[in-house]
Amino acid sequence: MPKVIVNERGTEMNRETISSRMRPLLAGAAFSLLLVSGGMAPAFAETPADTLVQAWAIDDTITLDPAESFELSPAEFIGNAYDMLVRLDIADTTKVKGGIADSWTVSDDGLTYTFKLKPGIKFASGNPVTAEDVAWSFERVVKLDKSPAFILTQFGLTGDNVAEKAKAADENTFVFTVDKAYAPSFVLNCLTATVGAVIDKKLVMEHAEAKTPSDEYKYDTDFGYGWLKTNYAGSGPFKIRDWRANEILVLERNDNYYGEKPALARVIYRHVKESATQRLMLEAGDVDIARNLEPGDLDAVSKNADLATTSAPKGTVYYISLNQKNANLAKPEVREAFKYLVDYDAIGSTLLKGIGEIRQTYQAKGVLGALEASPYKFDVAKAKELLEKAGLKDGFSVTFDVRNTQPVTGIAESFQQTAGQAGVKIEIIPGDGKQTLTKYRARNHDMYIGQWGMDYWDPNSNGEAFTSNPDNGDDASVKTLAWRNAWDIPELTAQSKAALLERDNGKRAEMYQKLQQEALETSPFVMIFQQIEAAGLRGAVKNYKLGPSMDTNFLASVTKQ
Amino acid sequence: MSEATMTRREWLLTDRPQSRLQARLGRAYVAWRRFTANKLAVIGLVIILGLVFLAIFAPLLAPHSPYIGDLAKARLLAPGAGHWLGTDDQGRDILSRLIYGSRLTLQVVLLVAVIAAPIGLLVGTVAGYAGGWVDAVLMRITDIFLAFPKLVLALAFVAALGPGIGNAIIAIAITSWPPYARIARAETLTVRNSDYIQAVQLMGASPWRIVLRHIMPLCISSLIVRVTLDMAGIILTAAGLGFLGLGAQPPLPEWGAMIASGRRFILDQWWVAAAPGVAILIVSLGFNLLGDGLRDALDPRGSGQ
Repeated sequence: MPKVIVNERGTEMNRETISSRMRPLLAGAAFSLLLVSGGMAPAFAETPADTLVQAWAIDDTITLDPAESFELSPAEFIGNAYDMLVRLDIADTTKVKGGIADSWTVSDDGLTYTFKLKPGIKFASGNPVTAEDVAWSFERVVKLDKSPAFILTQFGLTGDNVAEKAKAADENTFVFTVDKAYAPSFVLNCLTATVGAVIDKKLVMEHAEAKTPSDEYKYDTDFGYGWLKTNYAGSGPFKIRDWRANEILVLERNDNYYGEKPALARVIYRHVKESATQRLMLEAGDVDIARNLEPGDLDAVSKNADLATTSAPKGTVYYISLNQKNANLAKPEVREAFKYLVDYDAIGSTLLKGIGEIRQTYQAKGVLGALEASPYKFDVAKAKELLEKAGLKDGFSVTFDVRNTQPVTGIAESFQQTAGQAGVKIEIIPGDGKQTLTKYRARNHDMYIGQWGMDYWDPNSNGEAFTSNPDNGDDASVKTLAWRNAWDIPELTAQSKAALLERDNGKRAEMYQKLQQEALETSPFVMIFQQIEAAGLRGAVKNYKLGPSMDTNFLASVTKQ
Repeated sequence: MSEATMTRREWLLTDRPQSRLQARLGRAYVAWRRFTANKLAVIGLVIILGLVFLAIFAPLLAPHSPYIGDLAKARLLAPGAGHWLGTDDQGRDILSRLIYGSRLTLQVVLLVAVIAAPIGLLVGTVAGYAGGWVDAVLMRITDIFLAFPKLVLALAFVAALGPGIGNAIIAIAITSWPPYARIARAETLTVRNSDYIQAVQLMGASPWRIVLRHIMPLCISSLIVRVTLDMAGIILTAAGLGFLGLGAQPPLPEWGAMIASGRRFILDQWWVAAAPGVAILIVSLGFNLLGDGLRDALDPRGSGQ
């Protein structure tokens, strides 16, 4: 789950990647050692049978409020502790299933969604879950207007109209009105995001603080914003009992949950930053699951008979992009040739081992309409042929802006070598994240290597970024990735807009596949890989499965022997 | 005693040189003898000569290409027969990269010395000779530069100029001239009131001529010593910039950048970071030993007696 910064849906600046968060910090290591030696928790050799203990770097958790949280680790807490109207079906992540909603209907004009809530369900506090709570949760997100609010406001919600557009028709019926006849799958997918969590209005409003309305903030209450930062008011299978920043987070079984109760009584997350420390704790049995293992440690864990590993692709993709303002890169043959100049096999088996898998299409695996195709192989002869066709028989020189972190630097260097074999001289310009990104956003680069994280679990998130560019002018208001590379694609833009409004799920999936196929062949994006999240487990942990996104790392089914 | 019967050694060491050339050569010979008497200094000289040798004959000495590696088959190999120092994370031969990297190291050191030392010398001698407000202004500017930690200032310059080896050299040069200015000024102050300077003044020499022809030569020996001793620091600063990703651009085999890319493997493949680290250590040590020896050899107070 990406973190949006300053009016920017893009997510290159989120906390880098899972692996690069494990930067060696002496203080962190010392702190972890303190934990290991029993400075805080009692030193038990084995964790209790009804408790799952995880070691994870949770320092990106800055709030537990679903209306504001847009970071990686809290998405998992919220995903397990709150319930949304609809949830991703983990068995088939292209579909959704009911959460708090029992059933729903879409009006014929595609504008009105009517949700019937499951009868008789309760929040962890014991308060009943009503349509009023749902409507108020929507209102709260829109009026607080924090980073993830755009996921709801893109349906035309504003502070002034939200009470009308998201309202409770009766105790058990919630009616949501959108501004265009969007594809129902798009609307429903967006509602599975953590920002759509249903919050216990009665409980939160007991802790709300009065505010003086001003120009920036027009409301007379903070909607419990101050309180919910560190507290909990949900209805998921677990409840958040305790959170101490950079130290510990405790989830406890919610006995009021309507569905199947979790087998575990509690789940404890201990903040451990260092991969090596996590590995030692896992081997000693101090924790059941280690979440930030680096490739070397992961290797060691997978060879240990008492331990196991699991992994799942996540919604972040890495790509090399070619600015179409550069006359050479704008030639279609050159774009295609570059896709033959990446040594996919070698990169996949070395640089990306344990952190990613090669993926040549831009939609993340598991999302609706994701195309499974990898037609490109490293082939210098073919690339040379294409370059010759483009009139660049002797190659050419081009600059390449690369952020000085791994794995992008390694991939860039590898590409520099392989492209050199076809006569393309690449000059790597290293820089920190801000420098390269600023240049990229201003379209001043030739080539750029970057990452893109999905904002919400729907193909539109990446579809819009990669294959939509409504205005290719320098002063355009919508600046997608296609715009950043000056890829002028009126047809594809129209198609991706149409896909957003296609109400038949099967047809919609096909439209996105077509877009990806087109991008695969002609786009200036050389897609490299999709990030994966890996974890090391003790043998006693059963049914632990990582989901496609952070908020679908569900824990309810986990058992311990 | 006729000249014909003198040995070359006696000719060099004579108390009564017959010509300027003989006097100069004599002094150089004395300095050389004092230098070679210091075993450590000779070791330093040998290390630096070795570095120069590696840099000149890099293409002949390197067993593999420093830029092209085999990612799929030769990544992170341990030191062995095929690759004496192992391979890095792109499958490139580390020894070859070290050998080619010596060129970058020498280039940085020499260019910084060539840029920074003359600036410092000029600023220092002018300030010392002119005195008054010229001295005050120049020395306050020097103070401003000295007020920043060297690496931090270099980082700021590189961040402003953009990364790259050329900009790194400029940044290091900008940050390393102030100590030279201080030394040159101190030396100038000790000689500006000497009789010979006043004699030249009486003969009508312009201030520029006095500074350039009669003061600067006297400052040079202490400056050379200082520059040589600083070279280790320059190498470390360049390596530091490379380590932070602001020095050499990939795939240049800059030693600091090599350490930076090897640190991820330091537990399991220690040689990737250790090899360039040891190289930096040896070369820095070499410059330090050489500088120490030069200081003893060129110290005017101990010479000639």
